[in-house]
Amino acid sequence: MKLERDDLLKLYRNMVLTRKTDESIIDGIKTGRVVSFFHSGQGHEATDVGGVTFLRKGDWAMAGVRGHGVGQAIAKGLAPREFLAEHCGKATGCCFGWSGFHTANLELGLPGYWGTVGTTFPITLGLGIACKKDGKGNVVVSYFGDGASGRGTLHEAFNMTSIYKLPVVWLCENNMLAINMPASEAVASKDVADLAYGYNMPGVVVDGQDVVAVAEAVMIAVERARAGDGPSLVECKTFRFRPHSEGGKMIRGYQPIPEEEIAEWRSKDPIVLFRKKLIEQGIAANVELDKIDGDAAAEIAVAEKFVAESPLADPERMFNSLYA
Amino acid sequence: MADINFARAISQALDEEMARDEKVYMIGEDVRAGVFTAQAGLVQKYGEERVIDTPISETAIAGSCLGAAIAGYRPVADMMFDDFMLICMDEMKNAAQWRFANGGFIKVPIVYRLPMGGYVGLGADHSRAMFSPVMHLAGMKVVVPSTPYDAKGLLKTAIRDDNPVCFFEHRLLYRTRGPVPEEEYLIPFGVADVKKEGSDLTIVALGYMVQWAMELAKEYEAKGVSIEVIDPRTLEPLDIDTIVKSVEKTGRVLLVEEDMTRCGATAEIGMQIMDRAFDSLDAPILRVGAKNFPIAGGPMEKLILPSKNDIITAIDKLLGR
Ligand SMILES: Cc1ncc(C[n+]2csc(CCOP(=O)(O)OP(=O)(O)O)c2C)c(N)n1
Repeated sequence: MKLERDDLLKLYRNMVLTRKTDESIIDGIKTGRVVSFFHSGQGHEATDVGGVTFLRKGDWAMAGVRGHGVGQAIAKGLAPREFLAEHCGKATGCCFGWSGFHTANLELGLPGYWGTVGTTFPITLGLGIACKKDGKGNVVVSYFGDGASGRGTLHEAFNMTSIYKLPVVWLCENNMLAINMPASEAVASKDVADLAYGYNMPGVVVDGQDVVAVAEAVMIAVERARAGDGPSLVECKTFRFRPHSEGGKMIRGYQPIPEEEIAEWRSKDPIVLFRKKLIEQGIAANVELDKIDGDAAAEIAVAEKFVAESPLADPERMFNSLYA
Repeated sequence: MADINFARAISQALDEEMARDEKVYMIGEDVRAGVFTAQAGLVQKYGEERVIDTPISETAIAGSCLGAAIAGYRPVADMMFDDFMLICMDEMKNAAQWRFANGGFIKVPIVYRLPMGGYVGLGADHSRAMFSPVMHLAGMKVVVPSTPYDAKGLLKTAIRDDNPVCFFEHRLLYRTRGPVPEEEYLIPFGVADVKKEGSDLTIVALGYMVQWAMELAKEYEAKGVSIEVIDPRTLEPLDIDTIVKSVEKTGRVLLVEEDMTRCGATAEIGMQIMDRAFDSLDAPILRVGAKNFPIAGGPMEKLILPSKNDIITAIDKLLGR
């Protein structure tokens, strides 16, 4: 897929909006607006957004645990205010405010969120079976972490998507940490992408801080999936800028991660890097990008006001929701 | 006796048992750092060979405990959230049944530590109290401590038991404090603790709910109502005798748990009271527990989990007030 100027600006906008939504949740935790915990996705914007922005409406984006799927949701067209409202327990949230922190919207291809790591593997398999049966050429892009790759569900789902040639793109966001556990001690292979070999699917490693690299790699896998050639595995090397969950500490194993190292990670901010590239390559001017930043900030400000004025989740609706 | 918190009591028990018996080891996700800080400092003391950090592999954690136990070790697994034990329910069921189904001579000493519970707003995936699912695994012992003293004494007993044990630790209890002796002690399984004596009404409460029962019993005391509070401490084995004796005295009983009432631990306890003490009952047995719903996230969880008010309403109903 050749990315045009508009496509690139779209990537930039989605990343900025994702970051600002994430920041708004963190601010909401500090001020008490947010009713649940939060696992910030800062640092992951290029992978979250890059793998989803160019999907079609009928395609599914299955998020992993990080960021509660904020980037994937925004790239799929969910209004940030629905994400914010859900985290604030408001009836206007995408799950009507009683989930605490889940994201779902079937029309947009967001199948729902679940906090149990690795649950997404077999669910993705099922979405893939459905896409194949539908015969409309739709695909699933399914995110998981380096930590999630330890779950046995991965094996069953990787194997079956491959033998059934299902239209699935497995997207590993390898931030080298699972809570405090370093991937170097938890993943036996050098790269998670190496697993692809055993399942007879293509596996590639890309720079997860480079949104264009992510988008291009994923779209190659998407085209392959649409053509009926089966699943692929794209591993994006990335960084988790913040603690596992807000209020926690940056620990590796059981030792604090040195400040200099965190600073080094943060110097690879995918938004800053992309902005620099857009300007250096003469694709966009500073003012244009400033306007996108400003628009995103304004959208979040309006969304925060909307959320503040929204009613709390409706107990009656909740209690009527157990059975269909 | 020093006052220490529940988390400290747990780590003392682990520390003492690991020092006593080198066959004891810990395994689980982030056990070196300790997600709920109940094992701080142990990796420094015992090394990574005995404080084994794993990938996110619940099936392997639970199932490997069975293998190591058969081979003579005494693993203590940390499942981080009891919700996640459902991932490895087959392995835990196998651990429970291995001895019986293989001639009755194999020892399976495993402790599955199960941090658990609601009132933290963590939603449907991280909040359940799940006592009854493991009560269904014949061969599994089930422990639900409510104080630092009980947590330490029961965990030490659990580690020394030659059978698999599910050990539930409510997250809101970790910071609660209570007296714990300096000298070593063990608390046997199957011995309920009468946390407070009383004559008008018996409350049998589990885990975190014991705290509420105690607070309310004190409030009612001031109003001239004498409530007896019983903490069974272990659900398998269950000390029904102590409960029955109390019901024979008071004639009224309220059962309180955080899990869903449908098929909950209290359903079992209530039925056993019916069997044993029907003639002593002056009023129907009442239960307070979670509604038969998944746990909602954020503040909406309050509508599903039992509240203190639910307990007050039930007490007043039992007393005919
Ligand atoms: C089955 C299961 N085990 C443990 C946890 C606790 N937990 C939540 S996130 C997480 C780490 C996930 O790491 P990774 O998959 O690399 O994703 P990341 O958080 O780094 O984005 C763990 C262990 C969980 N939610 N589900």
